Amino acid sequence: MIADRSPIVGHAVAAITPLALLIGTYLLFAGHNNPGGGFAAGLVFGAVLILRTIAGVQKPVDAPLLMAAGLIVIAIVTAAPIFWGDYFGDQAVVSAELPILGKIKSGSALPFDIGVTAIVIGLVASLLDGLSLIDADGDLTT
Amino acid sequence: MQQVIWTLLGAHVAGVVLAAIAGFRSIRAGLAVAAFAPTITAIWAIWLFVSQDGLAGADGPPTSELVWVEGLDLAFRMQVDSLALLMTLLVSGIGALVFIYAIGYFAPDAAGGATFPPTLLAFSASMLGLVWSDSIWTLFIFWEATSITSFLLVGHKNSDANVQTAARRALMITGVGGLVLLAGLIILAQDVGSSTLTNLAAAEGSRATLAAILVMIGAATKSAQVPFHVWLPGAMAAPTPVSAYLHSATMVKAGVLLVAVMGTTFADVQAWKVLGLAFGIASMIWGGVGALRHVDAKLILAWGTISQLGLLITLLALGTGKAVFAATSILFAHAIFKAGLFLIVGEVDIRTGTRDIRKLGGLAKSMPITFAVALLSGLSMAGAPPLLGFPAKEAAIEAVLGLSGWEQIIGVVSVVGGAVLTVAYTTRFLIGVFGAGPDTIVKPRRLAMTIPAVVLGFLSVAGFAALGLVNDIVRPAAIELNAKSEVYGLVRWPGIKTAFVVSMAVLIVGFALGVGAAARKVASAPNATGADAADGLIDGILSNTPRFIAVVQHGSLPVYLATMTAAVAVAGIAFTDQVSLSHLQLWDTPLQGVLAAGIVAAAAAGAAVRSRLGATLTLGATGIGMSGIFIIHGAPDLALTQLLVEIIVVVGFVLGLGQLANQFPTVDNAWRATRLAVATLGGLAVMAGLAASSANPSGVAPIEDLTAGAVNDGGGNNVVNVILTDVRALDTLGEVVVLATVAIGILALANTRRAEA
Repeated sequence: MIADRSPIVGHAVAAITPLALLIGTYLLFAGHNNPGGGFAAGLVFGAVLILRTIAGVQKPVDAPLLMAAGLIVIAIVTAAPIFWGDYFGDQAVVSAELPILGKIKSGSALPFDIGVTAIVIGLVASLLDGLSLIDADGDLTT
Repeated sequence: MQQVIWTLLGAHVAGVVLAAIAGFRSIRAGLAVAAFAPTITAIWAIWLFVSQDGLAGADGPPTSELVWVEGLDLAFRMQVDSLALLMTLLVSGIGALVFIYAIGYFAPDAAGGATFPPTLLAFSASMLGLVWSDSIWTLFIFWEATSITSFLLVGHKNSDANVQTAARRALMITGVGGLVLLAGLIILAQDVGSSTLTNLAAAEGSRATLAAILVMIGAATKSAQVPFHVWLPGAMAAPTPVSAYLHSATMVKAGVLLVAVMGTTFADVQAWKVLGLAFGIASMIWGGVGALRHVDAKLILAWGTISQLGLLITLLALGTGKAVFAATSILFAHAIFKAGLFLIVGEVDIRTGTRDIRKLGGLAKSMPITFAVALLSGLSMAGAPPLLGFPAKEAAIEAVLGLSGWEQIIGVVSVVGGAVLTVAYTTRFLIGVFGAGPDTIVKPRRLAMTIPAVVLGFLSVAGFAALGLVNDIVRPAAIELNAKSEVYGLVRWPGIKTAFVVSMAVLIVGFALGVGAAARKVASAPNATGADAADGLIDGILSNTPRFIAVVQHGSLPVYLATMTAAVAVAGIAFTDQVSLSHLQLWDTPLQGVLAAGIVAAAAAGAAVRSRLGATLTLGATGIGMSGIFIIHGAPDLALTQLLVEIIVVVGFVLGLGQLANQFPTVDNAWRATRLAVATLGGLAVMAGLAASSANPSGVAPIEDLTAGAVNDGGGNNVVNVILTDVRALDTLGEVVVLATVAIGILALANTRRAEA
């Protein structure tokens, strides 16, 4: 593993991972009102995945499971409104008054975006799997 | 009343799940659980028939509508009208009896407990959905669902190669027929401008003729009309409960139902009537002949079904009030007697171990109850009094006698001919199965098999005794199809009229013919020439598919790309004359020019460079330049996404490059020139398209609507993302499905490579 041979890489990856995950999560939630969104969040998480895979500290991700879960969530969120008379893909918006955070507003776009994120991560994971980068010892094959 | 549709369909869906769970323990438990949903549906239908208000109650017929895309008239629409209720009674009533019967039919330890009961119930639900549909799209979805469940049920004993072939043949013929039907339905919906089945406007003209032909062919494949009938005898490979339910009483009636419902729409289309009569009469006669040739009791019934379906299609194609009324009556009577006869064949098969009429003998004495039921159902099929089949067949003969001109001649000759054949094969069937012969050893009776058969046999008698109730069931359905049916009714004793005399002559001639046919020794079953031809065609298509794929999917990435780009170039031609040069301006800000120069330089370098790594990096540079353009236009969202995509793509490429040679392979000059030309033309086409669309704005830019909509309806300030998740959620759904499909492709490629290594 690269992370074993090079402490710099190991520490850098360990330091960057939580930061990048935080940015990805921010993009996911901010997307409704500010730049970001499920797709961008998925790409950031995917980048984390690539980085950790190259460093050799990442266990394989179950890409089909992620994508199936994402697709199911999206299908349910988009199809559900027609069962109570709204149009296909209509969005439900809810707002609530929470302690500390104050008034927050969210809606069915959030699970929709989470579904998109899961599918994008799954795509990146499939890409990594397809490239067969890691051999049985966890080392880069190239 | 509006909730009842969903409640009943929900009960079926829940039943499918529960039947699968119960089926793990034993097939009989699964079947018992599965019987629940059809039973309550049948009780509901019966209750509606006997209650005073019925469907005409305060709320009107139960309807339900789920709109998907309003602008495209895509909706899940259902309505239980009188015809649908009649079919509901048959689908669920006979369904419930068949489930009970199957409990006796299968041995307690039979395999397939977790699959067979839920699949049979799924078929039942699909059939209900089909008869309740009030939109041609809803109808089509359930139509296909019945084809698929039928395939699974025919192939139940899937270890047998013959069964596999038969199931595949049934799927292919009904599946291709379904596609033909879809084409016809699309043309029809475009032509009349609606997809709602009730009150579908009458269609005429050349497009209507095309639609009529396609819809009729689709119906003929489903209802096993000559020459598409070849799948039905093969489908007898299914367990007998399936044959009784799908291939006599319900699924094969779907085509008949479609012809009935579309009758008014295509009433003025000559091709509809001519094609319907051709299918119907050919099937009526050829089916009857087939039933006289076979020695397998089940196949005799199957060929008889082809003949009876032909009679129904013939009457509906004629389309007069009396003919439609007769068709509705026969539809009802046929489901009862034919299901009963199939159940009997299954019982004979289980208790004696054979269905070959040459080997069966003395069953009238050894299986008296079964014989009694067979006699009642068989005589009803032959149209003999005092059974339900008699007044129904009288109505059919009266209907064709009441026609005029060439229709009368053709109608009378074919219907009387078909009736004679029906009496003949019924006689041969009864003599062959129950007549004298070497005594067959008979195993003890299974109560679960006997009771449903007895009920169906009894109904043929009871239907005649309570003819008023049968009239109340079939007449409203017939009136819905043709308002002129109102004046007709089934009568117990018609008096000595022409139709009665014809009917009696039919019975006598047919009986004589049948006795003669039964006495004739048949050495072997006739060859299934038609079925073999169909299988040959299917095999030919399947074996040639790899060669076809090898030509189309050659696997060369440059050729794929060149093909796609060339297609774009051709598409761009349409835009060239709309480009207005005066609209074009150099830039909004000089910064755009700087970025554009960078992008062009990077792209040119990418095309010229020999090293793969160089190409990857220059491609990444063009993308990053693009995200700069997005920022200038005030689209941080697009810029962010573009930037992230470029990073992932470049890193992904670089990782992948390790497994490839450093340099691109050399290509010859001709190929290089071709690629250059295609790429240039493709680029010019995109430019032309963009310039044309910006030069000809239609209407007002929707940005204000989108912004207001995003904040008010979508609840977000980021318009781009509200478009993605709300306004155009369907597009996004499609896109992520594409993403997931690509990912599955990548995984499949990787697995193939690993398997090879």
